[in-house]
Amino acid sequence: MRRPFQTALLVLSGIGLLRVSLFTDLYLRYVKEGMRPLLIASGALLILLGAADAVSWVRRRGGDDHADRDDGGHGHGHSGAPRAAWLLFLPALSLLFYAPPALGAYTASRQPPKAVTHEDAFDPLPAISPLPMTLSDFTRRVQQDRTRAIEGRTVRLTGFVTPGERGDGWDLNRLLISCCAADAQSVKVRIHRAPAPPANTWVTVTGTWHPGGTLGTGSAPAALDARSVEKTAKPANAYTDALPLPLAR
Amino acid sequence: MQGTEERAGEAEASDADGAAGDDAVPGWLRFWPLLLLGAATVPGVVLYLGGRWLETPVMQAWRTVCLAVTVQALPFLLLGTALSGAINAFVPARVFNRVLPRRPVFAVPVAGAAGVVLPGCECASVPVANRLIGRGVTPAAAFAFLLSAPAINPVVLTATAVAFPGNPAMVAARLLASLGTALAMGWLWLWLGRAEWLKPAVRHGGHQAGGSRWREFRTGFQHDFLHAGGFLVVGAMAAATFNVAVPRSVLDAFSGSLWLSVLFLAVLAIVLAVCSEADAFVAASLNGFSPVAQLAFMVVGPVVDMKLIALQAGTFGRAFAIRFSAATAVVAVLFSVLIGGALL
Repeated sequence: MRRPFQTALLVLSGIGLLRVSLFTDLYLRYVKEGMRPLLIASGALLILLGAADAVSWVRRRGGDDHADRDDGGHGHGHSGAPRAAWLLFLPALSLLFYAPPALGAYTASRQPPKAVTHEDAFDPLPAISPLPMTLSDFTRRVQQDRTRAIEGRTVRLTGFVTPGERGDGWDLNRLLISCCAADAQSVKVRIHRAPAPPANTWVTVTGTWHPGGTLGTGSAPAALDARSVEKTAKPANAYTDALPLPLAR
Repeated sequence: MQGTEERAGEAEASDADGAAGDDAVPGWLRFWPLLLLGAATVPGVVLYLGGRWLETPVMQAWRTVCLAVTVQALPFLLLGTALSGAINAFVPARVFNRVLPRRPVFAVPVAGAAGVVLPGCECASVPVANRLIGRGVTPAAAFAFLLSAPAINPVVLTATAVAFPGNPAMVAARLLASLGTALAMGWLWLWLGRAEWLKPAVRHGGHQAGGSRWREFRTGFQHDFLHAGGFLVVGAMAAATFNVAVPRSVLDAFSGSLWLSVLFLAVLAIVLAVCSEADAFVAASLNGFSPVAQLAFMVVGPVVDMKLIALQAGTFGRAFAIRFSAATAVVAVLFSVLIGGALL
């Protein structure tokens, strides 16, 4: 790879990183919030590196043309970086112009539900109705809370839609990541008695627990009889299991 | 005389900078109406069909995972290549000779334990190990450092403790098994390794008299980054392909048997290519598996995975990467079973 391309690649990668981390929230589609300062620093560093490279290139061009040829590759007789470096243009341009969306129904439909963490003691549920809950919380209440506090309560959950493959109903999903989107895991609650919206739509579902098995044990299904299904805006950080936002009325 | 096309193909590799030959009208120019028509329609059709294909759910997921692995690794790769550039330009070779024991057999454990100081994930350690060899450090010691650095640094161990609350044995087992793997591989290289498996380029480098050190740092940094970055993309593509092609529900089929589950999670660690600072959380979430299998996931992941194999192949050569990764995977599984069996 020749010098001008190297310079362009460094600067483009830097701008791409800055675009998704500093100027927009797009980085949340790929990594966790905590990566933001690192990504901004990396973007700035790459631009700086590219600028320094351009300056030295222009300056040496004015001087003698020969000494410049070898300086890209220590220990490599020929000039510059290897061919593999061209591949870096793919993520750089993708970040700049063609950022893929956050993972959704396709990934969720191919994964078993994530086993929720175990909890021994449950506080009494707040006495508001409908009660906003996260999908993990709801699953824990249904499958672990021996006091059966969830029974008969109206709850409200938010997630995206994954069409059901078997049985009746469809899945309300959230994907959670621990590092980057490569390790996404899904939590899901099955929704009954409501027609399925199109895949990947973000909805808030209000309803009551769908009876089955023994409540408070693993045999109880994490499922909801829907009373209402309303479209909501997709959250900026899609990879969290957050409480539903209050509905604007 | 060279044809124009041939020359265009070579322009990237060769140093010639002249414009393509314009002395004769090449044969293909005679079909210019056809070419014009092709130039007008083909890119549009290709872009449209390619765009449609890239928008399918499978390809969207593939692109997202591929980009996610790359974006996640880039800051750590920059850290590692900056460090490798600095080693190359500012640290004289005699420093390493003074710090490391003269006998390679003793240099291996010292270098392995030194892995504690590099707080990064595995992408950072490959360029650093490469430069260490360039500065005259014995390859066995550099490889011990390469394997131990991403697994036993404080960031990773803290993450492990957070992911497995109330289970300090898991942290201890990970530290011991990872360090054991690194040292065993270093000594194994002394015993069986051959210098000719390494690319010749690995053995050069260092500050040359007369040049500015800053410039050398910058060019070394840039070269290492572009080089390793290209191979990182290869690894990310491979990891994304496995991620999208193999459904996670396959996991359940293997969680029953102890031996199968250890091997299966080891293979999963290789193909998922989760970075070492986060793999503890992934391991903790695989709670259908035995603790020994979870340990194998965390010990194998930082030392062998798709993006690491690609990085090593690019840096040290393919002949090395295949042998070294295969041996490391076997050694890492053995250490996880031995230490996991004793501690967990």
